[in-house]
Amino acid sequence: MESFFIRYRNVLVLLTLLVVQIVGLAVQVRRTSAGSNSLDLQDGAGVRLIRLWANAVVSPPEKLIHQAKLGAATFWNQYIDLRHTQQDNQELQKTIDRLRLEQASLLEDAKQGQRLQALLNFQEKYIYKTVAAQAIGSSGSDQSRVFTIDKGSNYGLKPDMAVITPDGIIGKVREVFPSTAQVLEINDQSSGAGVILETTRIRGILRGNAIGQPQIVGILADQRIQPGEKVLTAGGDLIFPRGLPVGVVEKIVRDPEPDRDGFIDVVIKPAAHLDRLDEVLVITATEARFSEQQQQDLATSEALKGPEAAAIEEQKKASAIMAERLPGLIDPNLPPDQQPLLDSSNPSIVTRPPQAVHPDRFTPGGANQAAPGSGSPTAPDADKKAATPGATANPATPATPQNPATPRRKPQP
Amino acid sequence: MNTMSGDFRRDLEIRRYPILVYALTPLVALVLQAWLPRFLAGYAWFDLPLVVTVYFALVQRIPIQGTIMGAGMGLFEDALTGHAIGVNGIAKTVVGFLASSVGTRIDVDNHTIRLGLTFLLSLLSSAIYVAVYRMLLGLRLEWSWVIELIKSVANTLIALVLFPALDRLQIRD
Repeated sequence: MESFFIRYRNVLVLLTLLVVQIVGLAVQVRRTSAGSNSLDLQDGAGVRLIRLWANAVVSPPEKLIHQAKLGAATFWNQYIDLRHTQQDNQELQKTIDRLRLEQASLLEDAKQGQRLQALLNFQEKYIYKTVAAQAIGSSGSDQSRVFTIDKGSNYGLKPDMAVITPDGIIGKVREVFPSTAQVLEINDQSSGAGVILETTRIRGILRGNAIGQPQIVGILADQRIQPGEKVLTAGGDLIFPRGLPVGVVEKIVRDPEPDRDGFIDVVIKPAAHLDRLDEVLVITATEARFSEQQQQDLATSEALKGPEAAAIEEQKKASAIMAERLPGLIDPNLPPDQQPLLDSSNPSIVTRPPQAVHPDRFTPGGANQAAPGSGSPTAPDADKKAATPGATANPATPATPQNPATPRRKPQP
Repeated sequence: MNTMSGDFRRDLEIRRYPILVYALTPLVALVLQAWLPRFLAGYAWFDLPLVVTVYFALVQRIPIQGTIMGAGMGLFEDALTGHAIGVNGIAKTVVGFLASSVGTRIDVDNHTIRLGLTFLLSLLSSAIYVAVYRMLLGLRLEWSWVIELIKSVANTLIALVLFPALDRLQIRD
């Protein structure tokens, strides 16, 4: 018996290791109700211990490399490469001013929305507190979209917290260690996020495919879904706050499952650059009210809104004054109630032709002058007659004010 | 292929390395494998732990050591992925066993043979990964053999540089 173990010890070690790992897989993998491509992501204590050890080995060198790179970049950017800094600052200040004004204009809508939500007993959750973190490593596998950040439970991070950038959502915290954490990206095959199409309001679950594209899986085919439509978080997954940008629809493909005819997968082009992540924000708290920082920003925006509103009012007054001085719109020789703009009997403003130097019978108003017994009508009367059919030789010709000093020519036989 | 008695070759050429090489080379491979993809934006089509496993399994020529090293490297990779632990572990366990078993029968100083073995074992590792994922776990996994072929070529190119460099670190009596 001893010779058997000695003789086949290599194969026995191989088989033992394989069996142990297969049993380990069987213990870990639990199918969920979401379908054949989903696994329960909750790790057991033993598995979590292995992940903790692996992370403890890999993270310190990664942090060291990242700190060195960050230090070199900081030195370069803050002490050497300072070209266009002032110009950039000015442009950023303009952007801040513009955004503050926009924020102030949206503030009233937000407050009204909160009041309405309170009436409906529905409370919107706002991003209340975030922790900025740096991405320091990845999973190292092209089949796994997981990366490591340099903040962990020491900074209040917990599993299932949302990870975002200003461009859009990134993923959620999967594993938390004391000084690092693993983030599962939205384009991983085992991820899941509730999303909604902005225009069609179709809801679905977002997860990744094998080549790292996020897609909304298993929704009913709908002709209204078109490439370019925006996709937002739906807020129903209790991880991502509602309304955060996810991306835009890139294309629509058929559901590859053989027994799901009529269902489609909507491939999304993510709003955030998932392949080139550097700094991310972890949402550590959401509340039904604005944070103190947000309230300070709003107060600043309100304060800025007053002078800006006064400036806009001054511009409106100046425009009104300029409008009064525009030629043709107001006749200074006429009383205010007979101004062309205010005269309701005059449907259109008539452009008067210049007065003729030598009027003849073709001159507008000449026929009236040649008629015996005709007086010298005033300009408005002439206008009324010109508007009356048969009153002049050429009714279509507008009348002109008559000059009594103008010599009149008798009609030729 | 030059073949000869395994015991004869083992007695003839037992390579030894400083303990730091044994400790640091796998660690550096794992760290780089986790760190480099951040800069390659989804084009990290290589497997440094696999290359290191193949190298040490080939030159040590002890199947038990190669098997254990492969299992360790694979499990370590799995622990970083967030997926179930054991898929890479099974693939690299088999690779380590095969590499060390073949190492007892071939001339491991021949670069061409080592590079060819790296290419084949890289393909085998991918095949085992897919088989475990799809058949054992029953999960849907989209797969591109073109990418796996590129990955195998990339692993071979890395081995082309790495193997001679590691050869220089061995202790010569």
